[in-house]
Amino acid sequence: MVKSRTQRKRQTDLEIISEWIEPSSRVLDLGCGHGVFLEHLKNRRDIQGVGVDIDVSKIASCVKRGVTAYQGDAITFMDVFEKGHFDWVVCSRTLQEISKPGEMLEKALEVGRNVAVGFTNYAFWKNRIYWLQNGKRPKNQVFTKDWGESRADVPISINVFETHCAQNNIKINQKIYLGSDWKTPVHRFPNLLSGYAIYSICKK
Amino acid sequence: MNDAQSMTSDLPGDVGLVEHHDFKYNQEFTFECGKTLPGFTIRYETYGRLNRNKDNAIIVCHALSGDHHCAGVNSLKDRKPGWWDNLIGPNKAIDTDKYFVICSNVLGGCQGSSGPSSTNPETGKPYFLDFPAVSIKDMVRSQYLLITEELGIKKLLAAIGGSMGGMQVLQWGIEYPCFVKRIIGLATTGRQNAQAIAFNEVGRWAIMQDPDWNNGQYERGKGPNVGLAIARMMAHITYLSDKGMEDKFGRQKKKQQDGNIFDAEFEVESYLRYQGQSFISRFDANSYLYITKALDHFDLYGNDATMESAFNTIESRVLMVGFTSDWLYPPEQNRDIVHTLLRCGKDATYAQLNMDLGHDSFLVHAPALYELVENFLAN
Repeated sequence: MVKSRTQRKRQTDLEIISEWIEPSSRVLDLGCGHGVFLEHLKNRRDIQGVGVDIDVSKIASCVKRGVTAYQGDAITFMDVFEKGHFDWVVCSRTLQEISKPGEMLEKALEVGRNVAVGFTNYAFWKNRIYWLQNGKRPKNQVFTKDWGESRADVPISINVFETHCAQNNIKINQKIYLGSDWKTPVHRFPNLLSGYAIYSICKK
Repeated sequence: MNDAQSMTSDLPGDVGLVEHHDFKYNQEFTFECGKTLPGFTIRYETYGRLNRNKDNAIIVCHALSGDHHCAGVNSLKDRKPGWWDNLIGPNKAIDTDKYFVICSNVLGGCQGSSGPSSTNPETGKPYFLDFPAVSIKDMVRSQYLLITEELGIKKLLAAIGGSMGGMQVLQWGIEYPCFVKRIIGLATTGRQNAQAIAFNEVGRWAIMQDPDWNNGQYERGKGPNVGLAIARMMAHITYLSDKGMEDKFGRQKKKQQDGNIFDAEFEVESYLRYQGQSFISRFDANSYLYITKALDHFDLYGNDATMESAFNTIESRVLMVGFTSDWLYPPEQNRDIVHTLLRCGKDATYAQLNMDLGHDSFLVHAPALYELVENFLAN
């Protein structure tokens, strides 16, 4: 089956993060969607994973994939677990849809010994130009919907995220900036030139 | 295969005519309460075929007022098929072309399994209240004997049940950890809260205050019918929801009324009276007392107020499904089971279905539920 460009893009994110996760780890995937990521981890790393998503149709997809999943609010779900219960908490393309992203990160760092975060960089130069030219939020492969039908959207940029980490005693263990193809590494001016950023973080 | 066959082969079918069987266990059985019986009978039905490896068997556990007849018909004159016929059958969620499905009437019941209305071999009369107090664990232990000794099955592919059936499947996972691969519990709880116990108590009180109850000693058919009907009417309300009842009945009135002020005037009154009346023809009042007590006593939390110690041994993969409008065993109680299992490092999935029909939602037509069950069994 030919994969769409977005699917291929997601693949990169997934491959980088799964390199970090040791085999047999206990993994929580916040906003697990259809369970693609956990399925991949389960097959490649033999992890013990659970995904959480608010949408019952996503949970049904997870069940179909043989992925363990929990239907409910991701933030309150984390209250159930003791500190450090998970080796990894994965937060891939989830933070921008959460009304309290800071709280989600805080709890993820509490229940997870490591947290993997991936997000599209809103400060990417193409988005900036789009704003300048059109005076409205970009609509493209990443931001596919018009304002009216879009979900909660709290855009993140690399600068915003790293400042947040610095101010909240969050240690960045690894960071990977990818270009507009979400594949080629970017080394200079990431906040301007990088389309996607992936971090491994933990509590200081 | 010709075209006509291939076109129809995916359509859901029915298991058709089925017969029950009786498993007679002739050794002493000790109940959880410590009392013993010299043996017991469990009535059961099966659908589908047990494969050569004997690894495609699924046990279906029924709720308080259910029985072993969960799919197909016992006679062509039957007005309705078994209680879970929408879920079980060829090409249905529990596909009888793939799986061997077993459903038994619980110990303490009144549809053919040993219970208070069965004959006590020592006296030649019904046991009545001499029948030992029965627990969810006793029900499961007797099912285990049926499955291993009568059917020769060494491993279950899954155990599935809603409400009291959900309690049984959890108990299956706890009691026989390596025996059951998958557990599916619907609209259930690790223990009833005070409200659920309270409703059971009102039902029991209605039965026991009926003069015909006579301390549990009554002839078949001459028992506390009024009390049992009232118990059922009230319990039935707890299986529905405000919205479900409003949608079904609203304030609709019966077309024909006799003019007597206290005759059934609203459709909902007439419906409940019908539920009560039809229940007395198929259920024994003493069994109702015994089984509601089993529900009340079921408590996986135990003294330390957490289910963790109970769930430590579970090896099965678990799927729990809660229903938004269920206020008898509400979603939170189903969630709590999954929370605890996950805390213990077990494999547990939770899904919540947005349905209006209250506790009984798990019994009605629900494609989303079918999909979950089918896929969970297949994986």
